[in-house]
Amino acid sequence: MSEVRLEVKNLCKSFGITKAVKNVSFNINKGEVHALIGENGSGKSTLTNMLTGIYSIDSGIFVLDGEEIHPKNQVDANNHGVSIIVQELGTLSGLTVAENIFLGHEERFVKCGIKNTKQMIKEANELLHSYGFDRIKAQRMIDDYNFEDRKLVEIVKATYFDPKIVVIDETTTALSQEGRNELYKVMDKIREKGNTIIFISHDLQEILDRSDTITILRDGVYIDTVKSKDVSEEDLKRLMVGREVTGDYYRSDYGSKVSDEVVLSVKDVSVPGLLNKLDFELHKGEILGFGGLSESGMHEVGKAIFGASYDRTGSVKLSDGTEINDIPTAIQHSIAYTSKDRDNESVVLNQSIMDNICLPSLDELADKRHMLSDKKLRDFADKFAKDMSVKMVNVDQFVSDLSGGNKQKVVLARWIGKDSDIVVLDSPTRGIDIKVKQDIYQLMDRMRKAGKSIIMISEELMELIGMCDRIIIMKDGMINGQIERSESLDENNLITMMV
Amino acid sequence: MVAVSKTEMTAAKEKKTGNLSMISAVKTYLPIVGLIIVFLVFNVLTNFRMVKNMPLVLSQVYVTMIATTGVFFIMTMGGLDFSQGSILGIASIVVCMVSRINIPLSILCGILTGALIGAFNGYFYVYRKIKSFIVTICTMFLFRGFIKYLTTNAPVAGSAALINFDRTELKVALTLLVLVTGFVLFRFTKFGTYLKAIGAGEKAAMFSGIRTDKMKFWVYVLSGAITGFAAFINVIKVGSVTSSGGSQLETQILIALVLGGMPISGGAKVRFENIIVGSLLYIVLNSGLTMMGFSTQMMQLIQGIVFLVFVAVFADRKSLQVIK
Repeated sequence: MSEVRLEVKNLCKSFGITKAVKNVSFNINKGEVHALIGENGSGKSTLTNMLTGIYSIDSGIFVLDGEEIHPKNQVDANNHGVSIIVQELGTLSGLTVAENIFLGHEERFVKCGIKNTKQMIKEANELLHSYGFDRIKAQRMIDDYNFEDRKLVEIVKATYFDPKIVVIDETTTALSQEGRNELYKVMDKIREKGNTIIFISHDLQEILDRSDTITILRDGVYIDTVKSKDVSEEDLKRLMVGREVTGDYYRSDYGSKVSDEVVLSVKDVSVPGLLNKLDFELHKGEILGFGGLSESGMHEVGKAIFGASYDRTGSVKLSDGTEINDIPTAIQHSIAYTSKDRDNESVVLNQSIMDNICLPSLDELADKRHMLSDKKLRDFADKFAKDMSVKMVNVDQFVSDLSGGNKQKVVLARWIGKDSDIVVLDSPTRGIDIKVKQDIYQLMDRMRKAGKSIIMISEELMELIGMCDRIIIMKDGMINGQIERSESLDENNLITMMV
Repeated sequence: MVAVSKTEMTAAKEKKTGNLSMISAVKTYLPIVGLIIVFLVFNVLTNFRMVKNMPLVLSQVYVTMIATTGVFFIMTMGGLDFSQGSILGIASIVVCMVSRINIPLSILCGILTGALIGAFNGYFYVYRKIKSFIVTICTMFLFRGFIKYLTTNAPVAGSAALINFDRTELKVALTLLVLVTGFVLFRFTKFGTYLKAIGAGEKAAMFSGIRTDKMKFWVYVLSGAITGFAAFINVIKVGSVTSSGGSQLETQILIALVLGGMPISGGAKVRFENIIVGSLLYIVLNSGLTMMGFSTQMMQLIQGIVFLVFVAVFADRKSLQVIK
């Protein structure tokens, strides 16, 4: 089974002055799950985007089954037998499920210029059935389904025609455990048929569990290809970062007492359809975790505290009795929030790093006459961006040019600059590589020791277990259980409460 | 479909990074270079009649420049306003009527009238959630109707004393007052940063603690008030208002801003200089064409072409869909 499927030969790609992929060559075999790993900006996605025709190639070639291919776009790549499931949402709103699945391949159903919609729906339903996704109906609009189900439709779309190579780019971070299991099943099926999967993920444990071979990239350069069974997570980290990863990943203390001082109390909070009579208290210096399935309402908890929920009832009160009902009040009283939807709700993409960092602190930065000085803003932004070691040219650079991890650092820099006492982090490490993850965990630990209180909402159970003093598990908009920090805790303790 | 659009997007992205510095240089300097070239060309073509008639040429710029300042704020946050001409018309009528009683009071009433119409726009845009260009097109027709009604029999004449204020120094001073105040507000207070943040990403701006709805509403009120103030300068020129008073102002403003290099979707890339360079370029272009003896039809044709070229150059295609 070690016949070569794809040869990557001397591949190069630059964006302006940045060389994203530098002379990369390696082989991918038939019938294997081949993982690509590397930190943010190491060139994984650039490489697969060239393979699937999303980017053009600067120099170098792809040889698929002995034949050189130059895909011009995704449909062309499909015709060569290469498909991709992307990180973000890849289905189109306003179309039915069936239309999404057969997008770009409608000609199969066209006779004399007329599309046979009935036939299309029938075939789509048969496909969905064969994948076991019977709850998704091909004739319904894609908008009727949630993020998770739309991802499943994408999986069908990318794999139904038995492609020779399927690229799965960071798809699992967006899925809950259930969704992941569905994806793993599809992956197994593809491999059994002798086809190849290129698997990109930041979750190294998942990589080790699910892949046969692993290729490591660092700063656009090919480092090594290893067999999964021969390496450990530590080995991979070392290969990715290029040095020994020192220090603790998560925090290492257990049994330390959390202060009794309550800084925030949430009483009877409901949001129609999302949260149902929520009651909890947050203590000073505590990291309180929220876990659950992605539809459990846990993401709404952050918004509710921050005053960003539409139609919220009940009360969110600070220790001094101040009620938090809207975002400006929340920020004024030192509450910070980072959203799961980083690009829309956390950063203003088409604005500079400087403006993004200064935005909530403009009142403090202004002088007595409400005037702002450029120099003061620049120094402020520069200081906190550097504190967070944001990779940038300067603070005038637009946030839209930064990688996911760096965007998150900008968001954190803004709230650290604001010196917030209560920090609500929704999926703070989503789609972020281990180096930055470690930075964020260490930052959280420092903040906790400095007496700040943190609410951490996450779908990654391991990071909740690793970081939190207390974990609340949500189910159907209600609190379903609560667990204190302990060394003996493992994922299964939490999963039983989630489902 | 998805594949195609994605490739196009990324192709554009690659091109962008490749020629970024050149394109941004063109975008920065085109308006000012354009202004100089257009000015020189017309002077040569008209035997330097334009330089000799500079006060006359400039006399047309004050109202446009002041009103443009308000619309600049609206467009920075991604909105549009087509009702400016009607605001100017109505406010001018009010100024004329009140000037018969008291002239300083008439200025105040003009501002108030503009602010009220701005509030009307803002209410429907922000609190009834209708797209700004639809709301303002409606108010444009609505208030144009009022103007026609009020001027049915005869133009509305103001106090005869109004003409005494028609002095260049005064008009320059008032225009500078608006521009300097606007510049300081926009550049050195949180007002400007907030506006740009709303234009670049309203949701993220909201999550950064900006009261976006309130802000949007008051910017419409402010813009209306500024144009209401411009009504005074509009009126002192002739001392009366006809049924066409203020008409076409909205197009002039829009063209001026685009000529000045303003991205039509607003956001972080707008610059206050857009107002000044744009208004001047528009007026020079307009007067130049008139002096060359072009007919009105011909002038509109040329203006249309120039406008299209500038929009094509400055449109920020990534964020065009966010025009609110």
